Amino acid sequence: MDFGYLFFLSSGLFLGWSLGANDAANIFGTAVGTKMVRFNTAAVIASIFIILGAVFGGAGTTETLDTLGSVNTLPGAFMVALAAAVTVYWMSRTGISVSTSQAIVGSIIGWNCYCGESTDVAVFGKIFGTWVLCPLLAAATAVLLYFLLRRFIRYSHVHLLRQDSYVRAGLIITGAVCAYALGANNIANIMGVFVDSSPFSDFKIDNAVYLTHVQILFLLGGMAIATGIVTYSHNVINTVGNNMLKMTPLAALTVVMAQAVVLLLFSSQNLRNFLLSHSLPAFPLVPVSSTQAVIGAILGIGLLKGGRGVNWGIVGRIVVGWVVTPLIALIICFVSLFFLENVFNQAVYQPELEMF
Amino acid sequence: MFNVKISLFSHTKELEQKIDMLHDKIIEVAMVFKKAVDVYLKEKRSTDYRKLSKEIKIIEHDADTLRRDIENRLYSQNLIPDFRGNILELVENLDKVINEFDEVAHKFYIEQPEIPEKYYERFKELVSQVCECAENLAMASRAFFYDLSAVRDYSKKVYFLEHESDKTTASLKEGVFASDMELAHKLQLNSFLTEVADIADLAENCIDQLLIYVIKRDI
Repeated sequence: MDFGYLFFLSSGLFLGWSLGANDAANIFGTAVGTKMVRFNTAAVIASIFIILGAVFGGAGTTETLDTLGSVNTLPGAFMVALAAAVTVYWMSRTGISVSTSQAIVGSIIGWNCYCGESTDVAVFGKIFGTWVLCPLLAAATAVLLYFLLRRFIRYSHVHLLRQDSYVRAGLIITGAVCAYALGANNIANIMGVFVDSSPFSDFKIDNAVYLTHVQILFLLGGMAIATGIVTYSHNVINTVGNNMLKMTPLAALTVVMAQAVVLLLFSSQNLRNFLLSHSLPAFPLVPVSSTQAVIGAILGIGLLKGGRGVNWGIVGRIVVGWVVTPLIALIICFVSLFFLENVFNQAVYQPELEMF
Repeated sequence: MFNVKISLFSHTKELEQKIDMLHDKIIEVAMVFKKAVDVYLKEKRSTDYRKLSKEIKIIEHDADTLRRDIENRLYSQNLIPDFRGNILELVENLDKVINEFDEVAHKFYIEQPEIPEKYYERFKELVSQVCECAENLAMASRAFFYDLSAVRDYSKKVYFLEHESDKTTASLKEGVFASDMELAHKLQLNSFLTEVADIADLAENCIDQLLIYVIKRDI
C-alpha cells in the first residue's frame, strides 16, 4: 500500500466525515428532533445503510462528476476534496446547513479553471438544474405524501398509540432507505475524484465476496461518513430537527419519505432503467444534495400549513448558503491549487496526450 | 457503546386497552352514581346505598391504578413524545371527574342530607344531566384516540348538558333559599347542589382542553 496515496486520500475522508456530520441530520434530524427515534439508534442505522449504499449503489453518479471535470492527479484530487471539505466544515460551524454536492462541484470547477480545462457546460447545466429542481421536487413530494397520509389516518380510525408505532417504524425504515440512497448518491462527492487514481485492486474471497477496486474506495468513504455521523452529527440534528419548523412526527415521516424518493430518483440506475424502458421521463444520475431535499420538503410542509410556523430567517440564511457554497469552494480550490503546485511542487494536473 | 433499543409495537396494545378501560370506568361510575342517588332518595342510607357507594369507591380506586399505570408506561416506553404531556393531562382530568363522583357519593353517605320530596324530580334531572355529561366526556375522549372528527360531536353534547345542569342547579337553589327551611339546612343542600354541578363543570373543562389537543393534532 502506498502511504502517499493514503495521505492524499485523507482529504476525501475528511470530506466524508463532514458529510456524515452534516447530512445524517437530514436523514434522522426530524425523527430525533421529534423524539421518535433515539440518536444512538439513528446513528447506527444511518451508518450501516450509508456504507451499504456507497459500496453497492455508488457507481451511477460518479460518472456524472467525472464528466464535469476529470481530476487526473492525486494531489489535484486531494486539493479538490480538501477545498470542498473545508467549505462544508466552515459553513457547518457557522450554523448553516450546507450541501456537500455543491461544495464538490464548486471545487471541481475551481480545478478546471486553474488547469485551464473547459467545464462541460451541458453537464454543469444538468447539475445546476437539479439544485433548483431537487428542493422543488422534494417540496411537492412532501406535500402530496403529507396530504395522503393525513387523509389515510383520518379515515382509518387507527388508535393514536398504534399510529405512533407505525410512524416510528416508518421513520426507521424510510431513514434506512434514505441512508442507502444518500450513500449511493453522495459517495461520488467524496471519493469520485479519487477513482481515476485509485491504487486498490479488486478484492475477492472465493465466490462469496467480490469487491471492485472502486467499491473498496467507496467502502473507505462510507466508513468516513459513518465516523462523521457518530462523532459530530448530534449538534447539526437539532438545527434541522427543530429550528426551522416545529414538526409533528407525521410531518417528520413525510419529510424523510420525500427525501428518500428524491434521492432514489437521482441515484438509482435500476429505477432509471425501469423508467426509460417504460418510455417514462427519467431523472439524470446526478449527486443531488440531501440538504436541499430535506429543506425543500420541510418548507413544502410549512407552506401547506399556511407558512406561519416557518422560521424564514433561517430559510434565508440557508438559501444564501446554497449560492455562496460553490463559490467559496471554487475560490478555496483555485487558490490552494496554486500553492500546492508552486510552493509544494506537486503536479495538480496532467495534460492529456493529444492523438494525431 | 450503543444501546440500540427499538421498541415498536410491544406493549402498545396493552396500553390502548388501559386507556379504553379508563373511559369505561367513567361511564360505569356515572351509571352507578345515578342509581345510588335514586336509591338514596327512596331509602336514604340503606344497605343498598352502602353497597353502591362502595362500588363507586372501588371504581375510583381502579381508575387511580389505571391512571398511574398509563402515565408510567407513556414515559417509560417513550410513547407519543409530542402528545405525551397532553395525554397525561387528559388522563388526570378524567380521573378528577371520577374522583368527584366518589366524593359526592361519600358525602351523601356521611352527611345524609334531608332533601324535601318536592325537589326529587328536579334533583334527579340534575343528576341525570351530570351523568350524561360525564358519559359524553368519556366518548369524546375515546374518540380523540380513534376518530378526531367525532370529538366535536360529543363535545357539543357536553357543552349543552353542562349548560342545562347549570340552569337546573340555579332553579333548585332558588327554590331551596325561597323555602322556609332552616338556614343550616339550606346551606347544606346548596353545598350538595354545587358539588353535583361541579361534576359537569369538570367535564366541560376537560372538553375545553380536549378540543385544543384536537387542533394541535390536526396541524
